[in-house]
Amino acid sequence: MKRREFLGHAGAFGTMGLAGGLSVPALLSGAGRAYAAGDDIPVGLLFSLTGAVAVVEHTLHDAALMAIDEINAAGGVHGKQLRAIVEDPASDPATYSDRARRLMIRDKCVSVFGSYTSASRQAVLPVTEQRENLYWYPTLYEGRECSRNVMYGGAVPNQQQDILLPWLVENFGKRIYMIGNNYVYPKEENNYCRILLNELGGEVLHEEYVPLGHSDFSSVINRIRAQEPDVIFSTLVGDSDVAFARQYRAAELDPEKMPVCSLTRSEVEVKAIGGDAAAGHFSSAPYFMSNDTPENQRFVENYKSRYGADSVTHFVSEAAYFQVYQFKAALEKLDPANLSPTAIRDAAVGMSMMAPQGEILIDPNLHTHLWPKVGQWQSDGQAKVILQSEGRITPKPYAAYPGQDCTGDGLVKS
Amino acid sequence: MNTRLSYDIIGLTLFAGVILFGVPALFSYDGFELNTFSRYLSLAIVSMALALSWGTAGLLNLGQAATFGMGSYAMAMHLKLKASGDGLPDFMGWNNVETLPLIWGPFQSLTFTLLAGLLIPAAVGGLIAIFMFRARIAGVFVAIITLAFLVAFQLLVIEQQGLTGGQNGLTGLAQLVLFGWKIDIYSVSFYYMVGGCLVAALIFGLYLTHSKFGLVLRAIREDAERTRYFGYNVANYQTVIFCISAGLAGWAGMLYALVLEFASPTYMSVSFSLAIVIWCAVGGRESVLAAAVGAILVNLAEGRLSDVFVEGWHMILGVMFLVVVMFMPRGIYGLLVDAGRVLRRKPASTKEALPFDTPLNPKQES
Amino acid sequence: MDVVFNQAFAGLSIASILLIIALGLAIIYGTMGVINLAHGEFVMLGAYATWALQTYAGLGVVTALPLVFVAVAAVGWIIEKVIVQRLYTRPLDTILATWGIGIILQQAVRLGVGADSRFVSGPHWLSGNIEIGALVMSNYRLFVIAFSIMVLGATWLLMTRTEFGMKLRAVIQNRGISECYGIEAKNVYSVTFAYGAGLAGIAGALITPLFSTIPTMGTGLVVDAFLVVIVGGLGSLMGTAAAALLIGEVTALFSIVINDTLGRIAVLAGIILLIRFRPRGLFPSDIRH
Repeated sequence: MKRREFLGHAGAFGTMGLAGGLSVPALLSGAGRAYAAGDDIPVGLLFSLTGAVAVVEHTLHDAALMAIDEINAAGGVHGKQLRAIVEDPASDPATYSDRARRLMIRDKCVSVFGSYTSASRQAVLPVTEQRENLYWYPTLYEGRECSRNVMYGGAVPNQQQDILLPWLVENFGKRIYMIGNNYVYPKEENNYCRILLNELGGEVLHEEYVPLGHSDFSSVINRIRAQEPDVIFSTLVGDSDVAFARQYRAAELDPEKMPVCSLTRSEVEVKAIGGDAAAGHFSSAPYFMSNDTPENQRFVENYKSRYGADSVTHFVSEAAYFQVYQFKAALEKLDPANLSPTAIRDAAVGMSMMAPQGEILIDPNLHTHLWPKVGQWQSDGQAKVILQSEGRITPKPYAAYPGQDCTGDGLVKS
Repeated sequence: MNTRLSYDIIGLTLFAGVILFGVPALFSYDGFELNTFSRYLSLAIVSMALALSWGTAGLLNLGQAATFGMGSYAMAMHLKLKASGDGLPDFMGWNNVETLPLIWGPFQSLTFTLLAGLLIPAAVGGLIAIFMFRARIAGVFVAIITLAFLVAFQLLVIEQQGLTGGQNGLTGLAQLVLFGWKIDIYSVSFYYMVGGCLVAALIFGLYLTHSKFGLVLRAIREDAERTRYFGYNVANYQTVIFCISAGLAGWAGMLYALVLEFASPTYMSVSFSLAIVIWCAVGGRESVLAAAVGAILVNLAEGRLSDVFVEGWHMILGVMFLVVVMFMPRGIYGLLVDAGRVLRRKPASTKEALPFDTPLNPKQES
Repeated sequence: MDVVFNQAFAGLSIASILLIIALGLAIIYGTMGVINLAHGEFVMLGAYATWALQTYAGLGVVTALPLVFVAVAAVGWIIEKVIVQRLYTRPLDTILATWGIGIILQQAVRLGVGADSRFVSGPHWLSGNIEIGALVMSNYRLFVIAFSIMVLGATWLLMTRTEFGMKLRAVIQNRGISECYGIEAKNVYSVTFAYGAGLAGIAGALITPLFSTIPTMGTGLVVDAFLVVIVGGLGSLMGTAAAALLIGEVTALFSIVINDTLGRIAVLAGIILLIRFRPRGLFPSDIRH
């Protein structure tokens, strides 16, 4: 082979070797450290910045980081700053597991904030529980979990549906069409919905699941047109939700007669759907960006000034935000020399604080008491709150499974 | 041939030395670092499995992740049963499954699981191989059929939630008790087990490639028609190597499920399958040892780069892949071979600069 | 019965989207044997170009189409000249190289524009539906169907009635001899690749009002597009169209009879069988190699 070719090959190899070599210092890092023994308190941020879920997760990263910076600017905790160690798990559960180990074992974080999907949370669970670390999970999920090492900041099915279903049946009718993506979250929510509908005398016309990321809803729209449900109960996520909303509108179906009531549609999806297509439909969530409280106004203003005037906050980023503050409040109760994850967890139980959605409380089962609301989307991309729960709703992760209860001592079967 | 074998043996010994002694010493026997490295080692096994079918036999199996996934699910099923005690695995109850599906029953037994993790992927690989090679499908079409199979298989696994845990996969697994040894995946002994498996797989792979079987495969890779004229049953050879490759991938999958403590449909995604191809390409697909090294290097680079460049590491990896494919078509192995030739001042033809199975006329493969 | 008609229309719509995405890929693969795994990212680039033109220049989707075509074709041209050209002797390596290019394009868009899902509004004059009895047809989908047929026709005209098309067909048949006749095969390849990329860009522009626009939108599309090309047969435009129609209708049929997931699995199984028994596809070209 000619010398030129060889030089080309060697040059390519050399470049890569250089890149690898530059990382040698990082390669040899990782000496053992006790928890927060140094001048700062390491916390992990495990939200995807690349890949399919990054659309939502980067907003969670942004909100959590903002909270950390706010706390640091106000002097930190016990005089120490919070050091955010950011990892990008690239929307892949295997990478989640790998980066979580890095944060919890090598970097000795006292807590890790992360995850949007249940798959990624479950991938992280083994190392969290083994190392007795604390994972702060801000996202709504299907319940049925009762780990002693996870702080659940999002709504479980009973919190989303207990006030929603009676209102839907009363205002629109009893014939429900269920559409969701094909994985455990929509299935659990639909399961719980059926239980409630049984009591309310409602009827499920059709229960349908499409693959994650599925975008063509012509068949679904055809079926809806044929069956004419009173309400479309949607647990579609991400792209599927955006595509469905747009195609619903293109099909000129009427949100006043057949509204879509979604458990997962937030300001993020509505921004992508466009105000016209989103208007008239409903979402059930503990938080909407339009919530009119001083805490929320401050939150939204700070968020917008930091991340751009057209950025939005939503019920998961709000949870990511308040969980950091819950973490701080728990830290403050502790002795600075003893900041272990389990101590933080024990200090957090029973704590209440003012979040942008209202005053929230941490249950002994580590889930959060929230204020569910039903909002109707307007054409400006914001939701108008139509229904508000009168009090905080207690989280019951096993509400659909009589005989099992998630308590402060873990899962109790009776 | 003999010189090559001795180089390979030297290479393997060096590699085994580095993996089994050098690396643990470098990391001061730290459990976390060794655990991370074990993951790289299990990925090295699937990469070398691909090198057997692609580099040696010229069959680009884009569905390698499917057989890998089967192995990981086999192990995970066993561990899930162990974690569920006498009851049903939790996700089944939530999917309204009343009794344990027949498929799950045998996985209670460790021996069955270990055998299944090797033989079921091999059997599936065999079926696909028979399907393809009896019809003399070759080249690009092998890649496409295996890719289509991979996509379909992943969809099927996700669909059958009651059977496989769906999108979330199988989580909440027990620790493996391997014939009395309770495995702690952060221990040095676990690392040695994985390293030992890799070295064993490499020895097997080297044995295959240096045997007459390997010679015939290379002949098939270069010109299948001509090999047929010599009287060899080309389809049989291709099927056998495809099976072996699939079985090894299953083995790698079992180890991977152990390291990560869960099995997921993402192990069977198109991007993961292509990642395996990339590791094999970076190392050099003609040599099983090089493919294994390639997998370790790329994953190591990914691990370290993502530490340093949180935002841009994905992009950097993409650029690196492109550079390797364009300028190092035979991977690092090719670079070493060429360096050896330059040092010995031997002249070389243009053809030798390219991978063996490159057709000179691009249309030869249709 | 109405359901059947509506589903048939849905299948036609799916087919038209598949066709317009796969056409560019078919041309690139048929001509150069290049497996362009970055094709999905060309579609994504087209979608983002449309979004950018709408947000910053106020152009509607339809007006933006020619600009998007040129923009993405230019990107394709550059990629061909710099990277793909070196890999013609290594068809299996083009898989890897184009996959790498796909990753780079995806990351570049994510780093440059952000990971948020972008909103592109469809043209107002195409909103609404035409109703014939119980058959409801979305105007926009009708437009996409019509447009894809038009693009197919334009491509066919290009291939058969223009001098460039003649050169292209000559090069497909036998590159060596064509070069002996003075045809610059390299330039033909470059233009063809650019054309294929441009078509993908148009596809992206057309689908974005229906679906969502995120950096990872291309990955799912490329496998489907590829299967359409293979089923249709190499070097055959009609084959690609027939395959798109077949796959679209079968997908729609399955999704109403069973469900979308199993439907897709069944379609994939069917494709595997088809490739096995007719590896050259439904309408293979009669070129002797």
